[in-house]
Amino acid sequence: MTPAPLTAADTTLHVAPSPHVFNMRMTVTRMMIDVLLALLPVVLAAIYFFKWYAVKQLLICLIAAVCAEAVFSRLRARPLRLGDMSAVVTGFILGLSLPASAPWYIGVIGSVVALGVGKMVFGGLGMNLFNPAMVGRAFIMIAFAGKMAASGYLVPGSGVDILSQATPLTLLKQSGQSTSLVPMLIGATNGSLGETSALACLLGGMYLYWRKVAAWEIPAGIFLSALLVGLVNDFLTPGSGWTFAHHLTGGALCFGAFFIATDPVTSPLTPTGKWIFGLGSGTLVMVLRLFSGYPEGLMFAVLLMNAVTPLINRWTIPRPFGGA
Amino acid sequence: MQVLPTPTERFIQGILPENPVYRQLLGLCPTLAVTGGLKPALTMAAAVGFVLLCANIITSLIRNLLKPHLRIVVFTLTIATFVTIVDRFLAAYLYQMSKALGPYIPLIIVNCIIICRCEVCASRQSVPAAAADALGQSLGFGLALAGIAAVRELLGTGMLAGYPVLPESWPDWVIMVLPPGAFLTFGLLLALVNWISADKQQGEGGGS
Amino acid sequence: MAHALKQKIPSPGRWLRDTNLGQAWLVLALAILFGAALAAVQVNLSRRIEANRQNETLSKIPELVWGPARAREIKSGSAAVQIIPGTLQAGSGANPITLNLFKVIHAGQLAGWVIKAGGQGYAEKIDLLIGIDPQVSALTGLFVLDQKETPGLGNKITAPGWRGQFKGRSTGRPLTVAAGLSGSEAAIDAITGATISSRSVTRIVNRVMAAVKDSLEVDTFRPIERRS
Repeated sequence: MTPAPLTAADTTLHVAPSPHVFNMRMTVTRMMIDVLLALLPVVLAAIYFFKWYAVKQLLICLIAAVCAEAVFSRLRARPLRLGDMSAVVTGFILGLSLPASAPWYIGVIGSVVALGVGKMVFGGLGMNLFNPAMVGRAFIMIAFAGKMAASGYLVPGSGVDILSQATPLTLLKQSGQSTSLVPMLIGATNGSLGETSALACLLGGMYLYWRKVAAWEIPAGIFLSALLVGLVNDFLTPGSGWTFAHHLTGGALCFGAFFIATDPVTSPLTPTGKWIFGLGSGTLVMVLRLFSGYPEGLMFAVLLMNAVTPLINRWTIPRPFGGA
Repeated sequence: MQVLPTPTERFIQGILPENPVYRQLLGLCPTLAVTGGLKPALTMAAAVGFVLLCANIITSLIRNLLKPHLRIVVFTLTIATFVTIVDRFLAAYLYQMSKALGPYIPLIIVNCIIICRCEVCASRQSVPAAAADALGQSLGFGLALAGIAAVRELLGTGMLAGYPVLPESWPDWVIMVLPPGAFLTFGLLLALVNWISADKQQGEGGGS
Repeated sequence: MAHALKQKIPSPGRWLRDTNLGQAWLVLALAILFGAALAAVQVNLSRRIEANRQNETLSKIPELVWGPARAREIKSGSAAVQIIPGTLQAGSGANPITLNLFKVIHAGQLAGWVIKAGGQGYAEKIDLLIGIDPQVSALTGLFVLDQKETPGLGNKITAPGWRGQFKGRSTGRPLTVAAGLSGSEAAIDAITGATISSRSVTRIVNRVMAAVKDSLEVDTFRPIERRS
């Protein structure tokens, strides 16, 4: 999977599963390390706001993910590729998408399902149809709905203030209350570990863009469609206090747009395809937020768009130069 | 002319070598739909077993009268009759179970295991072979269903056949008793069965 | 060879085989035989099945009117319990609704009403039995007859603890659903992770309460004439 360094005489065409690395100086490992670096502000924000809870949750997911990768590689008699760091990234993203207080087994089961059912069953990195971290999260979300739903985020008497408030989207869904924008931007609200601070996600996203690791079209598509649907919703239900800006900064939209939807394996290959993917995900998030029983819909939106990614790839095959 | 298996062979084949669920991938609708708990799974297996046994015996008895182009009609007629009988009996004597299984009992009519066994075995072999075949296939089907149901019920509710097995603190994996859990469990058990038999074959190959 | 020869000489037996009847006689014979068998099964079991169906509803009714302990006491007592099924036209002018209900009489006195009502749940229709006292002022119990809510979450609406909350609530004001603790008298605690199922049940109860509050009286009740 790691492309050999290109020499002048080397005209071999490498055929490999995605992520397709076009720049030869960039390897899968390098790319994953860049993602980890981009996650740094998010992780720091999570630790700052959720203290010990964040450290514990992230460590559990990390260790479980790496162990699961090792065990499943062994079972399928495949060479162990922990060095490419993809399991570490999956572990981190899963951990950051969990509530701070979720019990230890949730992180462990989520990681095992993510790596086992989400990735290795399909044939390992590059062959998976769905974002592994989101497969793991969907599994635990449905398996332990009580622990992952609105009430799962609340930890009364924890010493961490924000853990005693309902998440902004839950407040909106259940009692129609709005939350002020500044805490939502900085991250001083309750929620999944990595999603609360829109600012930290933005910072990490900028780094990804600067390193050209993630496609800008996908986050752009997500934000654009969420903005449009949010504006239409503002127009239709004025004076609710919850505006398009809340929709953009709240929930997992920022985190998902930069770190989940941009997974190169499970998103389309062409720029047009990426636009379709981004716009579709953003619209689905808003539809799920506004009309479904769940307060947040990013996970399901990304999984649904993952499912149609092969179709998008077929629609948007680039016309070869000179072709009709 | 090909030599048909003896009754004993038929019986043994049904359990694993030609297991209807894990080997032939037949009858998956009840396999996925009613394996949320051991009790409904075993009731379903018993119902399918009864229908299969009766249909196989009747088909075998009339096998010399069957006309090739009308045989499917005769099979379906026979199967539908016994399914209706089972359905009525459940409604009369196991009312709650009949309600829980809902449409899946009438759906046994279109369960391909039964029509497959009528076609493959009962319409060609004598009554003892057909009966042994029905028993073997039903046992194989029952074991497959019980396996899936045991995993799903245990993880999903911490119970087996309604009796608490795991400690009270067990966090129920709700997904396991929902449809996704059926697909996941079935896929993983299928992989396990294939893995074990592949291992065994390799071992035997190495020995000879 | 023999086969080809046979075709040239039409025999009466062959003619008979070629007619539709000759082709399908086995199907017809089996159909008649199986039909007779099914008729026998139906004749023998239909009463039992029908009784099962009715018992499911009827056996719950005393419990809804008096609560489980007192219901057992009354069952073993000497005074007869009479359960009369009937209907009630309720609702105002434009949209009248017909409710199915049971009038419960114990020792000659009206002991309470039990109403059968249904509505949309999270997954599918939820069917409830709602017990109401003779004066139509308070609920005496709730039972979930049929539901297909999410196992482990929504299906907790059948748990005695949760549905027990409805007992004793006044029919005068609509109930609300509260997540977590709330001091309100008319609040029903939502089931964790199943707010929608909780709301669905409460909505059905509210609708029934609103409908019967002013219209349920002894003389608006229409018993269903039983054809025996």
